[in-house]
Amino acid sequence: MGRLILWRLIQLPFILLVIYTITLTLAWKIPGNPLENPEGRRPPPEIALAMQAQYNLDSFPRFYVSYLDSLTGIRWLRESIDGTARQQATNAEAQGLALPPRHVIDLGPSLQYKDQRVNEIIASSLPVSVLLGATSILIALVIGVFAGVVGAIKPNSLIDLVTLTVALVGISLPSFVIGTVLLLIFSVTLRWLPVATWGSPRDMLLPAITLSLPFAAYIARLIRMGMIEQLSSDYVRTARAKGASTMRVLLGHALKNASLPVLSFLGPATALAMTGSFVVERVFSVPGIGQHFVNAVQNKDLFLIMGVVLVFATMLVLFNLVVDVLYKWIDPRIE
Amino acid sequence: MGKLSIPLILLIVTILSVLMIDQPQPKADFTFTNNIGVTTLDVQRMSWMQDLRVARLLFEGLVHNDVLSREFRTIPGVAESWEVSPDNLVYTFHLRDNARWSNGKSVTASDFVYSWRRGILPDTAADYSGMFFKIQGARAFFQWRNQKLASFDPKTTTAQTLWEQTEKQFADTVKIQALDDFTLRVELESPTPYFLDLCAFSIFSPVYPPLVKQYETLDPDTGRLISERGWTKPPAVISNGPFKLTLWRFKRDMRLEKNPHYWNKETVAIDSIHIPTIEDPNAAVLAFETGALDWSSDVIPSYRADMLQAKEAFYQENASLYEKLKNQGLDPIEIDRQLPQDPRANIHAFPAFGTYFWNFNCSPRLVDGRINPFADPRVRRAFALAIDKQTIVKQVRRLGEPIASTLIPPGSIGGYASPAGLGYDPRLARELLAQAGYKDPSTMMTIELLFNKDSGHDLIGQSIARSWRENLGVSVTLRTKELKVFKDDLKKHNFMTSRAGWFGDYGDPTTFLEINRSTDGNNDRNYSNPIYDDLLDQADKELDTHKRMAILSQAEQLIMEQDLPMIPIFHYVQINLFDAHRITGISSHPRQQQDLFLVDVFGDGKGPDLPRALPPSEPILNDQPDLALSEEGSQ
Repeated sequence: MGRLILWRLIQLPFILLVIYTITLTLAWKIPGNPLENPEGRRPPPEIALAMQAQYNLDSFPRFYVSYLDSLTGIRWLRESIDGTARQQATNAEAQGLALPPRHVIDLGPSLQYKDQRVNEIIASSLPVSVLLGATSILIALVIGVFAGVVGAIKPNSLIDLVTLTVALVGISLPSFVIGTVLLLIFSVTLRWLPVATWGSPRDMLLPAITLSLPFAAYIARLIRMGMIEQLSSDYVRTARAKGASTMRVLLGHALKNASLPVLSFLGPATALAMTGSFVVERVFSVPGIGQHFVNAVQNKDLFLIMGVVLVFATMLVLFNLVVDVLYKWIDPRIE
Repeated sequence: MGKLSIPLILLIVTILSVLMIDQPQPKADFTFTNNIGVTTLDVQRMSWMQDLRVARLLFEGLVHNDVLSREFRTIPGVAESWEVSPDNLVYTFHLRDNARWSNGKSVTASDFVYSWRRGILPDTAADYSGMFFKIQGARAFFQWRNQKLASFDPKTTTAQTLWEQTEKQFADTVKIQALDDFTLRVELESPTPYFLDLCAFSIFSPVYPPLVKQYETLDPDTGRLISERGWTKPPAVISNGPFKLTLWRFKRDMRLEKNPHYWNKETVAIDSIHIPTIEDPNAAVLAFETGALDWSSDVIPSYRADMLQAKEAFYQENASLYEKLKNQGLDPIEIDRQLPQDPRANIHAFPAFGTYFWNFNCSPRLVDGRINPFADPRVRRAFALAIDKQTIVKQVRRLGEPIASTLIPPGSIGGYASPAGLGYDPRLARELLAQAGYKDPSTMMTIELLFNKDSGHDLIGQSIARSWRENLGVSVTLRTKELKVFKDDLKKHNFMTSRAGWFGDYGDPTTFLEINRSTDGNNDRNYSNPIYDDLLDQADKELDTHKRMAILSQAEQLIMEQDLPMIPIFHYVQINLFDAHRITGISSHPRQQQDLFLVDVFGDGKGPDLPRALPPSEPILNDQPDLALSEEGSQ
């Protein structure tokens, strides 16, 4: 187990380096000038050039290296050693002012938002997405497992057909449709839940349910298939023969084994849910990280594109690792 | 089963821990959405409307515009009083001694010198640095620094040496001086009747030098002064306006609290402001309707046209009272407040200081080398005469926007008489085309209309294309591009005709007219007429205000009746949502700046609860919005 974790963690920086290189190369090719405000006044050409140079936007190799420098914490280390950092701290203290923040892993400045650093953008949006994502996966598990088990008890019965249909709808209906319908019913017509605010658990309910539905539907199908297979297997027949109750057979034996595929689905699903959904965030005005995936590309905000992609990649690798560890622990036969 | 519950437990722990860290905020006195949210609060570097809106709450310049006066006059801010020399070139501002930064320190004249220098320095790359060029020596200093930076060689000199030279150069040549802590003297290049109006613009607001200097470093390789970001955020940020910023969660929300050190805090009738970011236009309307918002600054969903029609119906139902109030010349907000309360009346469309137009590329040749038919002003005039603007406004936009025949919204600038412009005359258009050598317009090359894919430009494009096809018989094609690419094309003059728009910044015709100067950075049309440039230069030197306005009017007449580098289509309206029975202090002025520190919520136990609105205008005789701005509109 320890070797598995260690090995994966050693791999992580190399995976990220490959992703960094590929993403940056693609993002560099996006047309347009990220420093220009498309609806605003245009700076004189010499200033436009100087700004490009300031962010190394005039040279791909220079950008590639300098960004890697701040991203990996090497710059932070260098500044800590050569005394630049201490100098800044002393200056701030002498003036009685707040110290400019320094980040070990510095994802750089946003090109589009002149006041923001990518670290701050992620720090303000990632917790929101993690909260929403975790809640929706939890909801998806409850709904999915319940629907799957109910369906598997009596395959092709009415109740099974109903859950299957609901699952199909959950997978195929786009979330902007589901989201808008839920919003219209519960917020606008019934006025039970708030609109477009974020802060209390009540605000989270509708977006979490909307986000959970496709996951719930998938889980339901995985469980149903697994359960049907398990229920017709020999050990279940044996368990029934020795007089185990239906509940015990279903939950203690069949579900346990049917859950393993769900577990391996949970890794990428949780990473996906926690890094936000542009559509759900948009419909419910959730200030999550998903919006930045789309906006950053549209605005060719190179630092932000790289920042969100690297965060997503890291989460994906880590969640898969967690799932693999759990998997191995639950079912030691797996290599 | 025990082991299987581990993922569930992990999920629950994650949820609970995030909930612990992320505490909700208490409800503020006034909540509003601010378009897509603030991009920067660095006053010298801002240019977006929503940034300026919040900047006016946080930072106070020498003077304010009185947004609740018809003439949009300038009133004291940090400056208590000021004198202007008889030749209108020297302004002496006397700063009040009780103006304070939010840390309690005095606002001094040298803070302004530092901030304005910051605005001028090419290193800051301020979008609006050109606004400072009215000050004597500013343009020359900008160019001097630019040239020094271009020729900077780290082998022969250091960034520090160059910076010391720069500071000296500025002090010696740019005429912004702090005579003492509370006296600021500014000398101008040429008399600029709207200089005080510029001083009210947030770009001219001060920043707190000790704070901002913390974030400045000299780049040893290029000699540039680099401004790191971060000083505009709590807890670091220090400001001098009616409010201070206490929370800024990017793309999420902002919270402002009354600044206890503000000199005029007694007049501020709310203690806290919350600004959630709601990017989805539909969600913003829903949030307003469910009471989560007090004011929505920009109402964008397409059904806003129906909402405006519903309000029209509401006026019809109350026709007698409505007409009576309207004839008293009341501010439209005041009319709504005196009519019975009705949710349909919560939508408000105010005239805006901007114009939607269609660009012509005026270059002799197109980018692909073909000869450009629109290089001929007669052709441009013909195409302008052939657009049915009425249909666009009535059937496509449906927002009650006035048809435009001029670039500058008529009546929005005091003392300025707009030219008549061109009307709709397809017959004359065909004659002009024939004169220009297109006897059979169907043989003309296919005319291309370029626009970006959002915001309904496609519908307007289709409508224009149809006008040209039917009225002129030319073949037309539409081209959509993604916004960034579209803007790039405009800059490179890679188009035949394209959609465009412009909003004015200050109360003078030049804020619109300068974009057609042949050397201007925003001259996408590549329009060049020495007579036009010369008229603008003449106006620049003219001392007499009346004559100056007449010259500018002549310049606008030239581009709107003869040369037509662009076709004005309509003047924008600003659509927002609030309940006039509950909120007061929002301005309906066509210059559309909001000073939200004037907001008072009726019945909240704070403030005088008296309506704040534009004073009644002279009784209205015609249907035109009566904005009889006085001569001193920009004084």
